[in-house]
Amino acid sequence: MTESHRPRVFLVDDHELIRAGIRAEIADSVDIVGEADEVEAAIEMILERTPDVVLLDVHMPDGGGQAVLRAVGEHDTTTRFLALSVSDASADVISVIRAGARGYVTKNISGPDLVDAIYRIAAGDVVFSPRLAGFVLDAFSTGQDDQPVVIADPDLDQLTARERQVLRLIARGYSYKDIAKELTISTKTVESHVSSVLRKLQLSSRYQLSHWASERHLN
Amino acid sequence: MSITTSSHAVVGTPLRPLRRGRDNCILGGVCGGFATRLGIKERNIRVMFALLTLIFGFGILLYMTFWLVLTRSGEEHSIIQQIFQNRREAQLVLVAFIATLILIITLQTTGTQTSDGFGWPLLLSGFASFAVWRGASIDERNHLTEFFNSAPLIGGAFSKSRKGFVLRLVVGAALIFVGLHQLHHIGGFWGSAGSAIVGTAVLVIGVLVLFAPWWLQNVRELTSERRERVRIEERARMVAHLHDSVLQTLTLIERAAANESDVVRLARNQERELRQWLFSPETSTDAPTSFVGLVGAIEHDVENDYGVRVELVTVGDCVPDDRVVTLVAAGREAAINAAKWSEAASVSIFTEVEPTTISIFVRDRGVGFNLDAIPADRQGIALSIRQRMGQLGGKTFINAAVGSGTEVELVMPRSL
Repeated sequence: MTESHRPRVFLVDDHELIRAGIRAEIADSVDIVGEADEVEAAIEMILERTPDVVLLDVHMPDGGGQAVLRAVGEHDTTTRFLALSVSDASADVISVIRAGARGYVTKNISGPDLVDAIYRIAAGDVVFSPRLAGFVLDAFSTGQDDQPVVIADPDLDQLTARERQVLRLIARGYSYKDIAKELTISTKTVESHVSSVLRKLQLSSRYQLSHWASERHLN
Repeated sequence: MSITTSSHAVVGTPLRPLRRGRDNCILGGVCGGFATRLGIKERNIRVMFALLTLIFGFGILLYMTFWLVLTRSGEEHSIIQQIFQNRREAQLVLVAFIATLILIITLQTTGTQTSDGFGWPLLLSGFASFAVWRGASIDERNHLTEFFNSAPLIGGAFSKSRKGFVLRLVVGAALIFVGLHQLHHIGGFWGSAGSAIVGTAVLVIGVLVLFAPWWLQNVRELTSERRERVRIEERARMVAHLHDSVLQTLTLIERAAANESDVVRLARNQERELRQWLFSPETSTDAPTSFVGLVGAIEHDVENDYGVRVELVTVGDCVPDDRVVTLVAAGREAAINAAKWSEAASVSIFTEVEPTTISIFVRDRGVGFNLDAIPADRQGIALSIRQRMGQLGGKTFINAAVGSGTEVELVMPRSL
């Protein structure tokens, strides 16, 4: 896929108004190849039309975005998913990423930012919102409090110092370009760090990830 | 004396009308009701009913009858009226009544009835208590459930209390003794008592077979009724919240429709509040007892007062102390500065609690400034932040450049 190619985008959301709003904001920059307002139809049409990027609502009847992710994930497709939600409850975010989404943004994201996110997902990158970065830092915290952290697989259950740095900068509101400048590395390296964090997020068996609760531990 | 009907007996002052007591009741409030009506002490009436009970159980029967026909204070209908308002309940109670009558007649004709004559008033009272339970209002039922749960002989929770155990033992032993005595009267177990016991058992099984479906259905209805009530209460809570918050805000938005910044501010405010309510009800910003709660208040105030969107990300939390409060105050200054002067549409705040330090980053992508080019008299805010942080061992870094925004980094060591 060349850079000049407009990504083929599919919308899944059970709210007509939200779909209309998103369509209006991105229609000039991407090709919208279809829309669905329920899980079953979404799965069928995504498999049939193989879009580059699916904008996926997290909360829908009949299993929500996760059901779509799981069903499509069973097939061998190149389609990538960007989760879109009104909520930033940590449980939602983490579970949809673990189900296979390549990024997570909230619905109040601005039009240009959304288009940018779609292009990055289409190019194989990962889209982390500042809040998602915060969740990940929390989930992979070293457990300085009273609860011990069981590290089963150090490759997957811990973040490297560099990955932590990158996530902190994302949480502070830095763009990938800013981060690259700040750490004097290339944008591609920043992206590879974030991709590796995403992989850990999806595969790690850390307790905090599988049993994410939104409570913060006070000490 | 109050102007409305008194809920307690006023000695010497009879009060109308005759209602079963609500506040001065033990079981059904019949004695209390009479006391209020006649202006006599509740205790005297209760003693009278107890004495009447000695005459063939007459007192109990009388009590149950009044319980059924008298309206409870504060309610519309008596229990009998309530039963007859519902056809199914009426049928059920009538069937129970007929069954009781048949039982009494059978006992009378077979001569099993002992000479003491307590039998039929007790059976009728038993029927009456069934009718009371069927017809009682929800409020009265709650009262009765509470009463029986706290009664030492029946309540399950009492096994731990020593007093309850002794009482249970004494009453149980006494009843068993009386029962054995009665059996001995009619010829001991190997005499006619054996067939009496078998007869009773068959009778009980027969009654069970007859009434079990009804009873089961009633139990089921009661649980589903309770579940329904919980659902209704939950809904009412939800409606109240939506009404107080979302509906009010929508009205405000309609009225402020002409002013774009007002609409955005109102909507954003409501969004934040609703999120808080939906996703983290335990961290209320009303009473900030946590670092995150304090920082949340900055987000709230800056968005409200300056119409600038705040992107807040927090990692970790801790209990606030002096240092934390100072740090948050410095963070607030920095955020307000950014909102006022940067001309950016949004300000990012990131906080992280680490084992030894707490940090706050406040960043905007606004106009920025040249730190060295600022005249000394304009550095007041930066200076005050620096000084306050410095006094408690904290550090302040300001990173600014014209055209690429400003970032203030505040790091405070944690108190140990």
